[in-house]
Amino acid sequence: MKPRLLNVLALAMLLAISAQAHHSFTMFDTTKMVTMTGTVTSFEWTNPHSYIEIDVPDEAGAVKHWSIEMGSPSILQQSGWKFSSLKKGDKTTLVINPLKDGRAGGFLNTATLPSGKVLGNGPGRGPQK
Amino acid sequence: MDLKKIFYATLALATLLPFAWAQSAKTPDLTGVWGPFKGGKGPNAKFAAPPAGQLVLKPEYAKPYEARRAQEAEANQRGEQLASSGAQCVPYGVPTMMSVAVYPVEIVQTPKQVTIVSEAFSEVRRVYLDRPQLPIEDVPPGYYGRSVGHWDVDTLVIDTIGIKTSVNGYRGMPHSEQMRVTERMKLVAPDILHDQITIDDPVVLEKPMVYTLAYQRLKDYEMVEFVCDNNREFIDEKGVVRMKVKDK
Repeated sequence: MKPRLLNVLALAMLLAISAQAHHSFTMFDTTKMVTMTGTVTSFEWTNPHSYIEIDVPDEAGAVKHWSIEMGSPSILQQSGWKFSSLKKGDKTTLVINPLKDGRAGGFLNTATLPSGKVLGNGPGRGPQK
Repeated sequence: MDLKKIFYATLALATLLPFAWAQSAKTPDLTGVWGPFKGGKGPNAKFAAPPAGQLVLKPEYAKPYEARRAQEAEANQRGEQLASSGAQCVPYGVPTMMSVAVYPVEIVQTPKQVTIVSEAFSEVRRVYLDRPQLPIEDVPPGYYGRSVGHWDVDTLVIDTIGIKTSVNGYRGMPHSEQMRVTERMKLVAPDILHDQITIDDPVVLEKPMVYTLAYQRLKDYEMVEFVCDNNREFIDEKGVVRMKVKDK
């Protein structure tokens, strides 16, 4: 419970200070957390945001592709991310806030790397390095 | 003979002293990387930025500005964000680039020029020291305009003109081409920097808007490259910011 509360507080802080950031986070449903496990098709260490592109199989085995937005490299490196943290073919479990419009996209909360290391999405978001 | 020597020595000293003083050992060195000040509590609390002054627009500008703010707030309530220049990767310009979320700015100080680089969007401003400012009419309107500066003892005073009207000012405020931005940059502690920003615009503002940004030194920080080449945000037909998703 505690980490979840911290996440909410951290997100509130992030929203408060991001008045001049690239965009607000209103397009994501921050009241919902979705957990997905799949295979990375690309990890894009880019600006203004980084992205994890991931194929996620459902219980019947049908694969759905998701685009997951993250912070920028500058912000991500402060919570332990590197450009090489994920690569094509890696299996990873992501916790995300989904897009409100129902399309297969979301905003990263935490990622479990193949090494088992859990990373958040920038300072104050998710576990710290 | 000796008197003559003393006379010339004194003359030389009197002539050179003001120049030496202008860039003396006492001139602070602002060179370094500066992130937003986080020590708002505890022993460093006294170094937090003072509260911003009030933004008072002339009535003809206040109405549309407030209407837009209300629209943004309403959209926000609906869970939408209206189109903004930032979401389209357009740089922020002066003075907004001095405080973009948690991104730092790097200052490189030399005797003749102070260069300021914002990590977000890799924006660059150049402040020419001890050069006269041009008339506003002679500066092509742009994102950074033309900045000149001088040292007022321990404070770097920067005068900027020539910001084009599509570049939004403090909290999205409108401005005219007559806008003048005056900054006073001062180390309030060895590793804490304040930038007091005064926006003066006789066309749009009833009175100058004053606010202060506080920074802390980020020792050994290496600035991160920021080229906006993967912008997935787009503006839909309703003017709302949305994110592109990929099919595979």
